[in-house]
Amino acid sequence: MDETRKRAQLRLGLWVFIALIILTVVELWIAFAVPRPLLYLVVINLADAWLIMEYFMHLSRMWRAEE
Amino acid sequence: MQTVRVHVPYDHTHTRRIGLWLFFISEGFLFLALISSRYYLFGLSRPEELNQALGLLITTILLLSSLTAYRAETSILHGDQGMFLRNTLATILLGSLFLVGVALEWAEAFRFFPPHTRFGTIFFTLTGMHGFHVLSGVVLLVFLYFHGRRGRFGVTNTWPVEGVIKYWHFVDVVWVFIYPTLYLVSS
Repeated sequence: MDETRKRAQLRLGLWVFIALIILTVVELWIAFAVPRPLLYLVVINLADAWLIMEYFMHLSRMWRAEE
Repeated sequence: MQTVRVHVPYDHTHTRRIGLWLFFISEGFLFLALISSRYYLFGLSRPEELNQALGLLITTILLLSSLTAYRAETSILHGDQGMFLRNTLATILLGSLFLVGVALEWAEAFRFFPPHTRFGTIFFTLTGMHGFHVLSGVVLLVFLYFHGRRGRFGVTNTWPVEGVIKYWHFVDVVWVFIYPTLYLVSS
């Protein structure tokens, strides 16, 4: 049971990493293909930061002392 | 009637987490100030001399190091010592590789936009301050690795691992904003 949970958590981490790489590539494409890309870049950066803080830093778990 | 006193040990994890996040918030303001100085001093221009391939490469390396850091934390939470050590070591190597990339960036930057120019000031301050944070993260990870080898962390003692790994992810979050600020923003 614990091993299954561990595998599921590791898989989740991999998916988050893939999402971050895709967002970075999209960011790079927007920077060179779209005129005045600042707003789009900010939105993508916020999505990146949310993914890292929520899934890697466990932000929503902060108030749960037992974990 | 008899009164029974029950001593419930205080769990410090909650307080430690709040303290760590408050530290991240204060650090976030520091980087926010530095990032905003880019727009104040240099506007939305993008120097053509920037090495885009190197910028993308070091960004990928840092994101990959966040994955290995996450795997290290997950494995120690499940008591897998071997996997914890392997992933901590991988994170140290990737962090060091990132610093080598920054050093290469600096070698180019000295030629095209030296520190006394407007973009140079922004570039060296931002990458230097962030690089210093990466370096301190690597030192902390080395500390984790050697203590981990002596079996000091396990299912019942995960806070040092959690604290250092969270710091590493924070350094990654900061880079997520620095990368487009230096390399991608244009008018």
